[in-house]
Amino acid sequence: MTAVKLVLEFEGDRWRARGDGVEVAHRELRGLETLIEASVAGERPVYVELAFDMISLPRWLHQYQAHYCNYTLRVPPRGAPA
Amino acid sequence: MTTNRSWSSGILRTEDWWAVWIGLGVYAASLLSLAGIDLVGWMARPRAWEWTDVTGTFAWSQFFAPAGAEYAGWHALASFFTTYAAFTALFAVGARFLQLDVRRFVLAFTALFLVTWAAWIAGNELHLTMVDATVNGRNRYREAGLSWGLQLGEGAPYLLALIAGLAIGNFAKGLAARLAEAARPEWYIKTAIVFLGVNLGSQTMEASSFAVELILTGAAATFVAYLFFWPIVYAAARRLFGFKRDVAAVLASGISVCGASAAIATAGAIRAKPIIPVTVSMIVVIFAMIELIVLPGLYTAVAPDQPIVNGAALGMTVKTDGADAAAGALLDELMIARNLQLTGEQWQQGWILSASLLTKIWIDVFIGVWAFVLAILWIRNVEKRDGAVSVGPMEIWFRFPKFVLGYFVAWAVFFGIATTWPALAPTLDEGTAVVQSPMRTMLFMMTFVAMGTMTDFSKLKGMGKIALLYGLALVIVIAPIAYGVAYLFHRGLAPPLVAP
Repeated sequence: MTAVKLVLEFEGDRWRARGDGVEVAHRELRGLETLIEASVAGERPVYVELAFDMISLPRWLHQYQAHYCNYTLRVPPRGAPA
Repeated sequence: MTTNRSWSSGILRTEDWWAVWIGLGVYAASLLSLAGIDLVGWMARPRAWEWTDVTGTFAWSQFFAPAGAEYAGWHALASFFTTYAAFTALFAVGARFLQLDVRRFVLAFTALFLVTWAAWIAGNELHLTMVDATVNGRNRYREAGLSWGLQLGEGAPYLLALIAGLAIGNFAKGLAARLAEAARPEWYIKTAIVFLGVNLGSQTMEASSFAVELILTGAAATFVAYLFFWPIVYAAARRLFGFKRDVAAVLASGISVCGASAAIATAGAIRAKPIIPVTVSMIVVIFAMIELIVLPGLYTAVAPDQPIVNGAALGMTVKTDGADAAAGALLDELMIARNLQLTGEQWQQGWILSASLLTKIWIDVFIGVWAFVLAILWIRNVEKRDGAVSVGPMEIWFRFPKFVLGYFVAWAVFFGIATTWPALAPTLDEGTAVVQSPMRTMLFMMTFVAMGTMTDFSKLKGMGKIALLYGLALVIVIAPIAYGVAYLFHRGLAPPLVAP
C-alpha cells in the first residue's frame, strides 16, 4: 500500500490538490479526484490522504469551526476495473 | 497552510484552543488566592450610580473600582488601565499565534474595549437597572429616591452593548470594517464560558442535584435537535424550496443544529463547495442576532414563572455559541428583575444562563459525531462510493469544540478542591469570584458589542429563499418544538433564592 498526502484547497471557483509532486485543479471535486487518480495510479493501490486547508475559508468563519474535512481516496491499481 | 492531520493540530492556532489557554490561565492565577496571593483583584468592576450623584463632584470611583479587597487602595483608573492592559496583552498573544495582524487587532480590540466599558458604565445607572421591589423589608428603589425607572436589572448593560454594536455594524460600516480584526465574538464568549465553568463549580456546591439535572436534561435535548429539527428542515428545504441535496443538508444543520459551526461541519462532511457554508453562515449570524434581540424579552414577558424552561428553550433555539450565551445572559438578568418585580423574591444569578448554555454545549459536543455519521451515510447512500472514499474517526476530534474541555476542567478543578478540602471552599469561592463575575461579564459584554459590529442586516437582501426557509423553520418548527421539549423537562423549576 502506498500513501500520498495532499493538501486540498478551494480557490474562488475551483478545487486544487497539491503535495508529493502532484498539483491538479478542477471545478468539481469528482473531476479533481479523477485527475489525482491519473497522477498517482501505479501497480498497487494508492491511498491519497487529502487534508483541507482552512485558509480557503474566510478568516471570520474560523472562529465557528476550525476544521472542514479530511478524507482518503483509494486509487485502484492502473488497469484494474473501477 | 492550516490543515489538521494530528490530534494536536491547531492547539496553538485556533480561537477555540486560545479560549481554553486564556480562560484556564486566568483561572489558575485566581487559584493562587488559596495561598493568600491575589493576582486578579485588580480587575475593574462597574458600580451602580445615579446621574444626579455625578453632577457635582466628579470621581472615577463613582463609576468603577477594583474588584478585589487587596486592591481597594488602588485608584479607579489604575484598576481600569490594568484591566485593559492585561486583557489586551492576553488576546494579543493569542492573535499573534492565530497569525492575525497584531497591530490592527490591538487597535480594534481597544475600540471594542472602550465601547464595552462605556456601555457597561452607562448601563449601571440606577434608572436603568433598579427594580421597584421590597426584598427582606427593604426597597432600594424607594431608598434611592427614584421616581421612574426601566427596571431592567443587570440586563441594561447588555442591551446597551448590543445597541452600540448594532449601531456600528449598520450605520458606521467603515468603522465596523476596521474593527473586524478583533470582532471575534466566538473567541470572547468561549473564554467567558471557560470562566463559567468556575461558576458551575460554585453552583454545583450549592445545589448539586439541580446542576446535575441541568446537565442531563441538556444532553437529552440534544437528541431533539438532531433527530427532530434536522430531518424536518432538510425535508422542507428539499420538497418545499427545491434546494439541491448538499445545500439542503448544510441549511438543515445551520438552521436547526448549532448555526455556523454545524453548517461548516456538515458541508465538510459531505465535501460541499465552501461557498455553501459561507453563504449559510452569513445568514445564520444575522438570524442569530434577531433571535438574541427578540427571544429573551419575549420569554420574560410570556412566561416569567418558567425560568429554566425559558433558558433551555433558548439553548435549543438560538444558533451560534455567542448569540446563545449572550441571549442566556440577557434572559437571566431580565427574568431575575421581572421575578423580583412580581414576587419580591430574588433568584440567584447564573442558573438560567446555565440552563441555556448546558443545552447548547451538548449540541456542540455532538456536532463532530453527527458530521462523522453523516459523512459515512453520504458516501454510502448518496455518492454510492463506499470503498473508494473513506473518512477517519479523527474527524470527530478535529470538530470537537475545545472550549468545552476548558469549561469542564474549570468545573472539575473547583469541584475537586471544594470537595476534597471543604475548609478551603469559602476561600476558593471568594478567590475566584473576580473570574466568575466581572471578568466573565466583561467578556460577555465584549461579545455583545463584537456581534453587533459584524451584523449587517442589509445582507439579508438577495437571500430570498434561504431567508424565508430560515424564518419559517424558526417560527413554525424550531422555537415551538424547543419550547415544548424544554417545558416537558423543566416545567416548574426555578433557581435557588439569594440568601437574605
